[in-house]
Amino acid sequence: MIRSRHQTQRLYDVLAYGVLLGAFTFAVFPILWTALTSLKANADIVTADIQYLPLRPTFQNYATLWAQAGFPTMFLNSAIVTALTVLVCLAVGISGAYSLSRYRFRARAQLLLFYLVIRMFPAVLLLLPIFIALRVLGLYDTHIGLTLAYTAFLTPVSIWILKGFFDTIPPELEDAARIDGCTRAGAILRVVLPLARPGVAATAVLIAISAWNEFLFALMLTTSQGIRTWPVGLQLMVGEYQLPWGLLTAGGVISIAPILLFFALVQRALVRGLTLGAVKG
Amino acid sequence: MRQAERIALPAEPVARPAWHLGDLSESNHWAYYLLLPSLLLVAMVALYPVASGVWLSFQRYNLLRAAVPSFVGLAQYADLWTDSVFWTAARNTVVWVTVGAGSQFLLGLIVALALNRPRLRGIGLLRLGLLLPWLMPTVVAGHMWSLLLDSRLGVVNDVLVRLGLLQGYVAWFAQAETAMAAVLVVDLWKNFPFFTLLLLAGLQGVPDELYEAAEVDGANAWYRFWRITLPLLTPVIVASVILRVIGLVNAPDLMIILTHGGPGLATHVLSLLAFNSAYTGFNFGAAAAVATVMLVVLMVFTSAYVRVSGVTRE
Repeated sequence: MIRSRHQTQRLYDVLAYGVLLGAFTFAVFPILWTALTSLKANADIVTADIQYLPLRPTFQNYATLWAQAGFPTMFLNSAIVTALTVLVCLAVGISGAYSLSRYRFRARAQLLLFYLVIRMFPAVLLLLPIFIALRVLGLYDTHIGLTLAYTAFLTPVSIWILKGFFDTIPPELEDAARIDGCTRAGAILRVVLPLARPGVAATAVLIAISAWNEFLFALMLTTSQGIRTWPVGLQLMVGEYQLPWGLLTAGGVISIAPILLFFALVQRALVRGLTLGAVKG
Repeated sequence: MRQAERIALPAEPVARPAWHLGDLSESNHWAYYLLLPSLLLVAMVALYPVASGVWLSFQRYNLLRAAVPSFVGLAQYADLWTDSVFWTAARNTVVWVTVGAGSQFLLGLIVALALNRPRLRGIGLLRLGLLLPWLMPTVVAGHMWSLLLDSRLGVVNDVLVRLGLLQGYVAWFAQAETAMAAVLVVDLWKNFPFFTLLLLAGLQGVPDELYEAAEVDGANAWYRFWRITLPLLTPVIVASVILRVIGLVNAPDLMIILTHGGPGLATHVLSLLAFNSAYTGFNFGAAAAVATVMLVVLMVFTSAYVRVSGVTRE
């Protein structure tokens, strides 16, 4: 049997759709189910017959959650730690990544490899000495302490990503700026950073999501209600109440919201990053 | 055009701070100055802790019992060697990592291949939805699935019973036979998009001309996949597998949230053993020994894998 090329392509398209729809359902259904559950009253969650759609949708879970259990405080704590982490990682990451992207010096390759190897360090192995050191320094159970711990694994990541973005910016642009009397630092601030803004934004969002979501370090390095971040708080609710599904799902939905917002931003930034190719031509 | 204008601006003759960043940047050591902040930070928060953590593994240090660590050499490694819990956790870790990385890679690859057809309608929305699990916080992912797979309220049980695939509701996380599989499904859900993301980027880097040439030569799709796609993807595959294996070995988060290593020791893995020793037992020395073992195994695995796969480093 001879099939035309067109028919074969159509067959593959159908096959691809099948795969994608299946995987899409697998990926999105749990999130959808969580959102639906958060809109049900507890009596409609704990039922003999599972209620697929909320028959009596209510925002009661959200109101209860926001009013109790110090959730707004934990949200604020997460926001503070996330912002500080992004700030530190970008500050040291931009300058380090720029140097690795532009200059050739001894041990450069080893340094790049070293920043990759750091990812191999078991979190627990980092955690123990950081825990001890933070207690000695009086930074245990503080925003700054948690931020420092986060920069341990997020600085190397940001350096690698930022270096990739800097590599795409032609050095000739800086040369031109220097001929016009810019210092090297001036060329970075006025030429490179404006061009790399999409990349920097994308990196910032990736750092922010990692810090916002982080659970293990926060569990170990914070202890008081006033400092605790939301992932730890949400997990501890499981112990404090008898599986409060309404609150847990509502908490989940609220906590995901900023991530989706950030991601929407980075998507646009990434598209802009791709259109930067025009500079190359 | 706008770019040219920006560059043409002369350096502003503004008052400079006491230490001139501009002057500093003209020195011969500028490349090093730029590196310094990140090097100092990483040395302080990553390099020192790991060195100190490995050193800790040679010391008996229990925060509850003694305030001062005492050097015991390899004693804690010897303890591990004779500890049956350690070996059970090690076996579980092997299953967790191989099945986890394998399943996530396979699903990630299949989805990436399907997504690599930009002509398809609605592909943008599909891609966005398929990436979502990867963005989810582990805590929320854990709670989502613990609700989905709940033994009384779980919708998965309900659907499977309605379809006639199950006789009755199953307590997926509470049975020794199903607990590991259930956690693996959660991790598959959360992390297959990681492979999809990287492999899709790799696929888009494969030049179309190669496929067209192969097609002219009469190569079928299967042949094209094995002889063109896979070889060109190898660097991306190796890098993504290594990163994922590291993640699987090192992160006890899902176990802490879902099973606490149970029932019994069914989902007890090395990272959880290390974390529990420190977090609940305050036995930092023993925890450091387990974590050091993990680090060494990871380093051996990575260098062996890089060598076997034939990918030469940069």
